[in-house]
Amino acid sequence: MDKTIEELHELLKTKQITSKELIVESLKKSHEVQEAYNAFVTILEEAEETTITDNLLSGIPFGIKDNYSTKDILSTGSSNTLKDYVPFFNATAVQKLIDAGAVPVNKTVLDEFGMGGTGTTGHTGIVKNPWDPTRMTAGSSAGSACAVAAGVYPYALGSDTGDSIRKPAAYCGIVGYKPTYGMISRYGLFPFASSLDHCGVLTRSVTDAAIVVDTMKGIDEHDMTSWDSSHIHLYENRNKEVKNMKLCYIKELCDIEFYENPTEELKMHLENFKEKLELCKNLGMEVEEVSVNQKLLDTLPSVYVAISCAEATSNMSNLTGIIFGPRGEGKNVTEMMMDHRTKGFSPLIKRRFIIGSYILQKENQERYFKNAGRVRRLLVDTWKKLYESYDAVILPVGSGPAKHLDGSKDILTKDTAALEEHLQIGNFGGFPSITIPDGFINGLPVALNITGNCYEDEKILSIAHALEQAMPYKNQIAKEVR
Amino acid sequence: MPKFTSERVDDLAAKLLIGLSPEENQMVLDEFSIIDENLGKVEDFPNIKKVEPMTHCLDNFTCTLREDKIEASIPIEDALKNCDSVEGREIEVPKVVGGEN
Repeated sequence: MDKTIEELHELLKTKQITSKELIVESLKKSHEVQEAYNAFVTILEEAEETTITDNLLSGIPFGIKDNYSTKDILSTGSSNTLKDYVPFFNATAVQKLIDAGAVPVNKTVLDEFGMGGTGTTGHTGIVKNPWDPTRMTAGSSAGSACAVAAGVYPYALGSDTGDSIRKPAAYCGIVGYKPTYGMISRYGLFPFASSLDHCGVLTRSVTDAAIVVDTMKGIDEHDMTSWDSSHIHLYENRNKEVKNMKLCYIKELCDIEFYENPTEELKMHLENFKEKLELCKNLGMEVEEVSVNQKLLDTLPSVYVAISCAEATSNMSNLTGIIFGPRGEGKNVTEMMMDHRTKGFSPLIKRRFIIGSYILQKENQERYFKNAGRVRRLLVDTWKKLYESYDAVILPVGSGPAKHLDGSKDILTKDTAALEEHLQIGNFGGFPSITIPDGFINGLPVALNITGNCYEDEKILSIAHALEQAMPYKNQIAKEVR
Repeated sequence: MPKFTSERVDDLAAKLLIGLSPEENQMVLDEFSIIDENLGKVEDFPNIKKVEPMTHCLDNFTCTLREDKIEASIPIEDALKNCDSVEGREIEVPKVVGGEN
């Protein structure tokens, strides 16, 4: 399972391996990874082989984040409030992969309902980083990132509301791709913040990401935000010429002088990133530094929390334990719902619901909810303006390699840097955005991100593909370094 | 503007049907103080009130109403499958009208 999708397909077509053998290997590896890193909610022992067709995904195992609805398979959102929930339908994205002959072999752990960025808040416990189990995977697509990096299969589904595909991909040394908003139907994905939620995929190469999203995407009458992308062919067009393309990076995020008391890891991360900018130039691309209003960037984390909490409060009001979920105890319906929600939600989720609710109170909307929406527009307009002159924005992901688990609190703190959170702009504007590994610091992977204008997915994948080809980090499998 | 207090946190939690420990209550206030400080600065951005708040990420998003057409609904058995307390084809709950509450 350490091979690419194209390689596996060739082996299947020429009958050098069978789908059944791949499933057996993937399940065996799933148990090893579960034991070591706790990446899964459910391992599907009964997974069955499929017929090998010309579809590149046929017969090949994959993983599904546990906030995608899967027919007759436990789908918990990594929350105690849905710990026994078994949907009677498949999410559209999942159904499309199954229709292509792909074989789901497990459901992966996430931060509860996707509302966290550490991989530590799922109801089945902490997911550990396969490069270093004392470090976090980031989240929320924690189990998917861990499993793909550990070589359980070539790809797993993720969802991304702030950076939930692209940050864990960075921490685990793999590729994380979130296409333009609505390119993949969200029908059957448990909603977190509807105006920011995206479906996507975690893989070990840009080509694999293109193959999987080509299959997952498409207009869906069950999701009114989906659109017709039949003219977009990611796999076929991932090799577009990148010579003369123009990239920009943000001075306020990438210049070490903007950070008080920078860590050694941050210094190395930014130096490594600058080296990759030179690589882009060697590939014939133009790279320029641009400046963005620092005050706008500084408000980014709070704007994200305000918008996402407000939307989540509303989206998750249906979790009562009455018509589904474990029934709470109490003398009347109100007490039963109170008991279900109090015991079922983790402290992080409760906190965010209350903040969201406060923000939505009539007397507070102007200062918090509307101002957050205004800054969202200013940030998106700033990025759109950049796309008038540049093909993509290229930036480092986070402030270095994976953080230590003992430091994870997932609390918004005053020193939360815009560098840690800038990927959220991709969600504010629905921009296509891909993270690829770009080096190592102290034996642990670090990454860069390429984000482009809406509907220009082929372009950003071509840039990522060209850069990936020029670096030695493609299709890497995690090796514990400590 | 009234301050976000511990009592207000408990009041909202009750409305959301969520019970909070004193520690969880304090964590809400701690996290919110950062949001309050940061979004408070937005008030000073030039002409900020003239900016239309962004509520959706695609500029060209259109809401299209589909034709009404009759489709089969899901079997009741499927709908009830995840409910912990069922009587026949209905969800069972304590008496609501005329009960203790």
